[in-house]
Amino acid sequence: MAVYKRKYNPYTGPLTATWPRFFVLTRYAFMDLFKSRFFVLLLILAIVPNLFFAGYIFIANNKTVQLLMQIRSAEFLSVETQYFIIIMMVQTNVAFLLNCWVGPVLISGDLTNGALPLFLSRPFSRADYVIGKLAVLGILLSAITWVPCLLLFGLQSGLARNGWIWSHLWMIVPIILCSAIWILMLSLISLAVSAWVKLRIVATGVIFISFFIPAGLGEMFNAIMGTYWGALLNFSYMFRIVVERGLRDPSRLLGLMGRHEIPVPAAWAVMICVCLFSLFILNARLRAREVVRG
Amino acid sequence: MMPPTIELEGLEVQLGGRTILHGLTGVLKSRAIGLLGPNGAGKSTLINTLLGFHKPSKGSARVLGLDASANGKTLRELVGYMPENDSFIAKMSGVRFVRYMAEISGLPPDQAMERAHEAFVYVGLGEARYRPVGTYSLGMKQLAKLAQAIAHGPKVLILDEPTNGMDPPARKRLIELIREIREASDICLLLSSHLLRDVEETCDEVLILRNGKIASICNLVEERRANRKFLELETVGVEATFTAALETLGCECAIFGNGRIKVVMPDSVEIREVFKVAADRGVQIRRMNHRRDSLEDIFLNAMEQTGVADGRI
Repeated sequence: MAVYKRKYNPYTGPLTATWPRFFVLTRYAFMDLFKSRFFVLLLILAIVPNLFFAGYIFIANNKTVQLLMQIRSAEFLSVETQYFIIIMMVQTNVAFLLNCWVGPVLISGDLTNGALPLFLSRPFSRADYVIGKLAVLGILLSAITWVPCLLLFGLQSGLARNGWIWSHLWMIVPIILCSAIWILMLSLISLAVSAWVKLRIVATGVIFISFFIPAGLGEMFNAIMGTYWGALLNFSYMFRIVVERGLRDPSRLLGLMGRHEIPVPAAWAVMICVCLFSLFILNARLRAREVVRG
Repeated sequence: MMPPTIELEGLEVQLGGRTILHGLTGVLKSRAIGLLGPNGAGKSTLINTLLGFHKPSKGSARVLGLDASANGKTLRELVGYMPENDSFIAKMSGVRFVRYMAEISGLPPDQAMERAHEAFVYVGLGEARYRPVGTYSLGMKQLAKLAQAIAHGPKVLILDEPTNGMDPPARKRLIELIREIREASDICLLLSSHLLRDVEETCDEVLILRNGKIASICNLVEERRANRKFLELETVGVEATFTAALETLGCECAIFGNGRIKVVMPDSVEIREVFKVAADRGVQIRRMNHRRDSLEDIFLNAMEQTGVADGRI
């Protein structure tokens, strides 16, 4: 429209389908994130360990390189479930760090300037809003956890031959399942904390604290009461239990209970409860209008 | 037949354990509705209820025949909302912010971009559209909020205190824009304000709230038509004979003592006839104020009333 023809015109064009509109939030969030050099640097650093893991797999399956490097012990270079547990633990910790940075950026910008009523005065629900933001973290954290892990699994399968893939195919399910619950828990905690405190820097700090303080309190509880159930407050440890049991033997994924250890179902239950609690906070805080009681 | 713009049926809204809106009942049929009331009267609560932000504890509210609670999503497809408070994403450029909001309303990305530019130029922020919204002045932020409210071409435009924080020229420009938008399309307008002039200049019908109750529903078009000739006189002489003579001409008179008389004149009577009657009866007219019943009168009258059955005056 020419500037000299300033006139209000009603819109008569087509509209997009209603259900995928949450992707608008995801798309804009990614555009904003990739404008930040610090984020790009973090993302690259998050992917770098996978290159070392891939190099290790290559050496483990290449006799010529082993001879050149004068490595004689074949067991030292075995790529089995334990190796994938290490990959998972490293990458999920990296995911935690990335999540601490990205999560608050997604929500605090909308909340500090009261933009939420603008979203919610459109045909767009609070659930759409949360799903749109969760999709950002889901895609991002997947890209540095289970996706590279499966690529490394594929690399190992291709290089090992001798039917390695068939004897280890069961690993795919626990890799995806364990990563999914970790990603969901991290994302929901970070969105809930950001919705609660609103300020980005503070939110980043609180996300850190929300992992370390409960773990410390749990250890205190264990020391005072002479029990081991305080470890339920250590979310990273709960995830470790789930991953280790999940990747050691598929038949023991949901049932094994060792002596003096937190049972796997309890670890799953803790992570699911944290997710539900985060959803509860999001439901309370993400409102178009805040109501002051009294 | 087009449904009424707003229908309220015993609407009661409770927030934080307090009843904010007390059983509002009324039908507003005009295309441009003003929402008036002192601070805390419940204007913003009513708007938030119409948008589905608050659930009614009793009764219902309908906009263009759509129930605000039951058909909230469908209703919000028709709505463009300009909130009262700061509502923006500070780091986004103005045009990107409006495009973002238009896309969430369902416009495809290329159309949203085109409409965002159009809306920004239309509200007069064309030069500032690439600046982050956080750097805008208060008046510019108001205009940016208006741009995001109209970019997707809504059927109902809800403006909550649109002229807040604007200097007189900016306010005048915004009021002109609102009137242009109203006249350029079949858009319905709901404007909430405590500034009577804003409502008077843009609206055809007004809903006046007081303490969460309807103090008055008034059709301004009819009021303007009905009270075209309204005189306030200060006289010296025999008031009774003077007013009796005026009443024979078809005027309605009210005597307030000390020579003060209010006269509502029918269309057929000219002011010169009043002077002629006064001269014939030997009454001196010391002061004459010729005006129509303004919204201010209606508002003050509504504020003074202790309770009106259906609120209509």
